[in-house]
Amino acid sequence: MVARTEIASVEGRKITSSIGMIFLLVSFSMLFATLLLGYAIYRVTADEWPPMGMQRVPLFLPTVSTFIIALSSLALWKFEEFFEQKKYENLLLPFIGTVVLGCAFMGVQFRLWSSMKDMGIFVEGGVFPSLMYSLTWIHAAHIVAGLISLLFLIPAMVSKNYDKYITTVSNVSKFWHFLGIVWLLMYVVMFVL
Amino acid sequence: MAFFEQHIHEAPKTFLSKYIFSFDHKVIGKQFLWYGIFFLGVGGIMALMIRWTLAFPGVAFPLIGKLMFPETGGVVPPDTYAMLFTMHGTIMIFYAITPILIGAFGNFLIPLMIGARDMVFPLLNMLSFWIAFVSAILLLAGLFTPLGAAAGGWTSYPTLSTLIGSPGVGQTLWAMAIFVLGVSSTMGAINYITTIIVLRAPGMGYFDMPLSVWGLGLTAILNAIFLPVLGAGVLLLIFDRVFGTTFFLAGAAATSGTGDPILFQHVFWIFGHPEVYILILPAWGIVSDLLSFFARKPAFGAKATALSMTSITILSTIVYGHHMFTTQMSPLLTQSFMTLTMTISIPSAIFFANWLGTIWKGSIRFHSPMLFSLGVVFVFGLGGLTGLYLGTVTTDLYLHDTYFVVGHFHYTMAASVLLGGFAACYFWMPKMFGTMMNEFWAKVHFWITMLGLNGIFMGMMIVGYAGMHRRLYNPFVYDFMQKMIPINTFITWSAIVMGLSQIIFVINFVHAVFFKKEKASDNPWEVGTLEWTIPSPAPNYNFKEIPVVKCGPHEFGNPNLTGSRDFQYQTEELA
Repeated sequence: MVARTEIASVEGRKITSSIGMIFLLVSFSMLFATLLLGYAIYRVTADEWPPMGMQRVPLFLPTVSTFIIALSSLALWKFEEFFEQKKYENLLLPFIGTVVLGCAFMGVQFRLWSSMKDMGIFVEGGVFPSLMYSLTWIHAAHIVAGLISLLFLIPAMVSKNYDKYITTVSNVSKFWHFLGIVWLLMYVVMFVL
Repeated sequence: MAFFEQHIHEAPKTFLSKYIFSFDHKVIGKQFLWYGIFFLGVGGIMALMIRWTLAFPGVAFPLIGKLMFPETGGVVPPDTYAMLFTMHGTIMIFYAITPILIGAFGNFLIPLMIGARDMVFPLLNMLSFWIAFVSAILLLAGLFTPLGAAAGGWTSYPTLSTLIGSPGVGQTLWAMAIFVLGVSSTMGAINYITTIIVLRAPGMGYFDMPLSVWGLGLTAILNAIFLPVLGAGVLLLIFDRVFGTTFFLAGAAATSGTGDPILFQHVFWIFGHPEVYILILPAWGIVSDLLSFFARKPAFGAKATALSMTSITILSTIVYGHHMFTTQMSPLLTQSFMTLTMTISIPSAIFFANWLGTIWKGSIRFHSPMLFSLGVVFVFGLGGLTGLYLGTVTTDLYLHDTYFVVGHFHYTMAASVLLGGFAACYFWMPKMFGTMMNEFWAKVHFWITMLGLNGIFMGMMIVGYAGMHRRLYNPFVYDFMQKMIPINTFITWSAIVMGLSQIIFVINFVHAVFFKKEKASDNPWEVGTLEWTIPSPAPNYNFKEIPVVKCGPHEFGNPNLTGSRDFQYQTEELA
């Protein structure tokens, strides 16, 4: 007789939700991979970059965002660790840290967009501004979705129910870390290189 | 690895939870089926309008023409013609075939065939249908905008699809509809993949799954990976149209720093080539199973069939360049893409030979699902072989954008998938709705459809080979095309006959679903896969006891079988 487990058990839900989430993240990666590939093609085929006498976007603000999102990922990682160890009393600080840093990231992105406007880089101004704005917009939209998904951690904190919320915690963290990694790649490809 | 089991869900009681916002994979499958059949009708009428215009230029479209095009007295106007072929392609591919094969039969068959009680994420499944519904509304809304629906072809190449080529809102709505549908299909795909991985019944290895599930699973993998690519493409197209970005606009092309229309073609076909396999793989899987079921023989080389479908899935991701031979691609690239494309013939030949091996010396029962399956074998053979001419650079340069291409992809994507879908409908009807469709009218439907579609698509290949360009409103303004008028008329009459014969199907289907009193037995086709071990129609919990699988799906003619039975249930163990 073969061993059987209830899919609704903790083990079952962990396996199913991680398989589902990994495939979901593969889908998201393809979205961002396509966008970055498009960026690379415009970049490589242009005679000079940035084209049409535009200026590069200064590294300062994107670097700040990179640090902020890295820190927020770190905070969420601590959150996950505490949750796994069932140290529910320690959860509040890393949670607030993640949310505040996530909002701060959005704030810096808004600063970045307005600084680009101040530099005379407008969306309609050719392919370079198109790329800079659209790619950061699409990423920011996902960050907003990520921030909303962070709210799903509140019931996990309040209820202190490991069995019920462990999959929520791990799925939300996977998504949030994924967005951090995507931003890191965008930072390197679009701002540093 | 442990095997996982789901609870028995309570049967839903209210109308809303039972028929509208149902979590049950079988109900969602049926919802997708109705959705698909509705759009098949819409797309079909559009096809007839296109054909009418090509056969009788300047003649009013009968019956509804005067109502729809009052300014021209019922004649399809040129701009409407462009909208018609665009919407026909989009609707048939994304809103008819995808929902029927993947949405309806994917949902219905995967849990039943692997012995599960439902999909692993039922809520995601329901959302996937309702998001597809929203997408349909977005798409159809395009038809009622001031400048009309999208008219840039189903491929929507820039600059036709940019604000310069189509200034109306219709094109934006088209792009949004495709994006939203992509979200819905990706959700479905993730659900299918996870379900197949975790919810197979105890004892069922991957090679014990019916080939239908293989086809649907591979389709889901392609969907999850490549729909986001198209998503990125149409998202940038929407940005171009709404926010004024210039990704695909090659204005003042002399200076660097402008967009690149060709890039959209790359993105589109990176998705688009896998998409043709997304459409055909479920049909292949279903036909592979049905051929074995009705030939009363084990599927010949079932493992090889599954593996060759897998290798086609992998190869399909690296051949997209053959759609773009005429875009001044470097010869090095065209040659590579040509070679890779030709490589696909190897696995295709393997499973095609396996199909023939399956029916070879079988005691074939010519029921309607078998007729349709044999039809698929025939039309897919033709469609696949004509693909070689288009995958070869030298011939493609001549044939590109002619009706030969239209004939080819209709043979593979339309004819094969449509016949496969009908085969599946007739075959799983008892399990879906608990009644059988009328066998006589099913056969009549098959023969008229088969003759009709060969008349249409063979004719298209002939006129294409003679040089008729696709997407022309009136190709007969060219002298050399004058001689093509009779054959175009023939194609149109074939299309009308085939279109009318679908009424037979609809009446048969609606009658069986709503009015037929006589119930089907649990296993009318005498087949051993898991869904035939439960009552017809399938109860809401599918399996009272989760079955334990002992053998493969196509076990026929085992000498240890007792009685008059020649098939073995997957739950049975024989020496």
